[in-house]
Amino acid sequence: MSDTKLSRRAFLAHTGAAARTSIIVLSVPMILGASTQARAAQAMQAEFTTLSATEAAEFAAIAARIIPSDGTPGATEAGAVYFMDTVLGGSHSDYLPAMQEGLMGLQALAQSRYSSATFYSLTPEQQDLLLTEIEDGEFFRNMRFMTIAGTFTLPEYGGNRDHIGWKMIGFEDRHMWMSPYGFYDADYAAKGE
Amino acid sequence: MAWASFPTREEVDFVVIGSGSAGGIMAKELSSAGFSVVVLEQGPHLQPGDFKHDEWDYTENEGLVWGSRKGHPQTFRRYEHEKAEVVDGAPLGYAHNVGGSSAHFSGNFWRLRPIDFMEASVLGPISGTNFVDWPISYEELEPYYTKVDWEIGLSGVAGPWDPPRSRDYPCPPLPVKASGVLLERAAKKLGLTAYPEPHAILSQPHNGRPGCIHCGFCNGFGCEVAAKSSTAVTMIPLAEATGNCELRTGCTVSKINTDERGRANEVVYWDENGTEQAQRAKNVVLSANGAESARLLLLSESARHPNGLSNGSGMVGKNLMFNGSSRVAGLFAEPVNAYKSVATTRVIHDFYSIDPKHGFYGGGGIDERSLSRGLPMGAAMGGGLFSGKSWGSDYKNSIAREFSHACSFNGHTTSLPLSTNNVTLDPDVKDKWGRPALRTTFMNHKDDISTMKFFFDRSMELMEAAGAVQIEGRFSEQGQRGGVHLLGTCRMGNDPATSVVDRYNRSHEVPNLYMVDGGSMVTSGRGQPTMTIMALAFRAADHIIQSARRGEL
Repeated sequence: MSDTKLSRRAFLAHTGAAARTSIIVLSVPMILGASTQARAAQAMQAEFTTLSATEAAEFAAIAARIIPSDGTPGATEAGAVYFMDTVLGGSHSDYLPAMQEGLMGLQALAQSRYSSATFYSLTPEQQDLLLTEIEDGEFFRNMRFMTIAGTFTLPEYGGNRDHIGWKMIGFEDRHMWMSPYGFYDADYAAKGE
Repeated sequence: MAWASFPTREEVDFVVIGSGSAGGIMAKELSSAGFSVVVLEQGPHLQPGDFKHDEWDYTENEGLVWGSRKGHPQTFRRYEHEKAEVVDGAPLGYAHNVGGSSAHFSGNFWRLRPIDFMEASVLGPISGTNFVDWPISYEELEPYYTKVDWEIGLSGVAGPWDPPRSRDYPCPPLPVKASGVLLERAAKKLGLTAYPEPHAILSQPHNGRPGCIHCGFCNGFGCEVAAKSSTAVTMIPLAEATGNCELRTGCTVSKINTDERGRANEVVYWDENGTEQAQRAKNVVLSANGAESARLLLLSESARHPNGLSNGSGMVGKNLMFNGSSRVAGLFAEPVNAYKSVATTRVIHDFYSIDPKHGFYGGGGIDERSLSRGLPMGAAMGGGLFSGKSWGSDYKNSIAREFSHACSFNGHTTSLPLSTNNVTLDPDVKDKWGRPALRTTFMNHKDDISTMKFFFDRSMELMEAAGAVQIEGRFSEQGQRGGVHLLGTCRMGNDPATSVVDRYNRSHEVPNLYMVDGGSMVTSGRGQPTMTIMALAFRAADHIIQSARRGEL
């Protein structure tokens, strides 16, 4: 429970520090750029504890098509595959055999369609065509589940690095909010409704 | 103050099974009246500081709501001739911790209205259903609703939309959200009334607890500042402070035993170390919820009670009701940020009772919510709503907008009680203790589905009136497959042949056994049953205490 206490302390430190908050906001893109690059570099060399190097590369490639990095960060930058490595070796180890088997099926499809032993070496267009073929199956469903979970859950589980997933959708995890929360309630208050 | 500790081989006045919405109240009321009480709770005693904003743990790892991953599989089937299959998670969902589901609920506290208690008389019977009047009236329950307002701690504002009340709310309503403004403005355009949602969540300090900090991790999560009025922070501390109440956590009850006179005299359970124990008791209160109480009665069969304890009527486990629901999502031009603060802040009750000329029975309310409880992962899982794509760039662009710019108008509706909708003991699947798993058999009455459709249509009209730029909606057209409002399975009534408990929640057959939880509800109400469950608990406890004073217990 020390996490909760720490973040609460951090929250208390921030209350009443509006000026400081605005400085932090200004510098976020810079910090993000630097740390994303640093982490990506570090990640390339990181050992996977559950997945083999090939499985990790394949899962990362699939995740990159589910939430692409098309001008803005996606599942790759969020490190969704590291989340998969964590939970497939822990709480969700029961998913692993089916996902390994599903990957073999996808690789067989890559072989028959494009004479490629691996999925990750295909072009993004080829990858999308293959994933469209399997999108109604269990393997794709599991990959989508793991990719989204790895992009949007707490960074403690290995993904959502630098809160990339949360920033993508406009979510901010704070311990406290004050009304107004959005445009319409601010407008309602302004008009005295 | 020394906490109470009772030996298992000596009789306590009451064993209360379950520490949730009803059990917490029973424990506090009975111990405050001087009775010795042992509360058996299968989950842990989580403190406010233990609750986390951890969506993965709570929604996927069964952090609070246990299912197959925690060794508590449940099975489901539509009809009795089918074989029930194990379902992921928990089709009948409830939180396993002190406070029960009051720890993780969204705290929408609607009183029933006078019509709810006598609707069958007013409308006439509905063939093929067990739709009947309650044995009590709104007026009889009103003082206990007011007790809930003040002792549990509610926020709201009394108004012409309200059923009659003897006292105003203790705290003003929580601040309206952007989504609530959208619903309220749409209602005005259509000539309807959206009023502030009443909550069992504090808007300002009350009874030594602080007001809500609007963190947004509310529905499905525990409150880290104790602003949510769960029994874990309202009743249990008072019960323990009496010195008459011992709370035993990590204790899973396996059976209620009876003596040669047919009275409950012992509650058998596994303690936190997995060791079997048996607590002797003069009286037993079963408040394990509308699914588990029925299951435990069925598990407590004996030569004297071959169909399960207190089940001479055969009604234990039957008449399972969930409340129906519908959801219409709308995308707006400006930020809504419905993920912040409580689940909902405005509710419309203009359709409390649908005009019978529509040809079906039903009624309900419409409130406004975030998509997927405002949870980032959940919203992304169900996301892409307005693009029609579930992956790829279009999907990504869609979720980037809909999380912050969308909200939904949700219908909460009636369910009819049917004998064919029930909980029973699964003949094949066992839980981690070797007990037969909860088996749910459920298919909505056609009027439930017509009612969901009716509310879906009204929500569509409201969403259009609200000015949504894109609209998407759904409801369980093919029938519900589970729920978190677990109602009807130990129904209250005057006739022992057709009900399980009497008008004071006392078993018709076992005079020192009380079933107090959602199971005793005769009809479903319009969608938010917990306030009624709590009021029934205060009333049952009051009756026990008055009876004891007269020497009639």
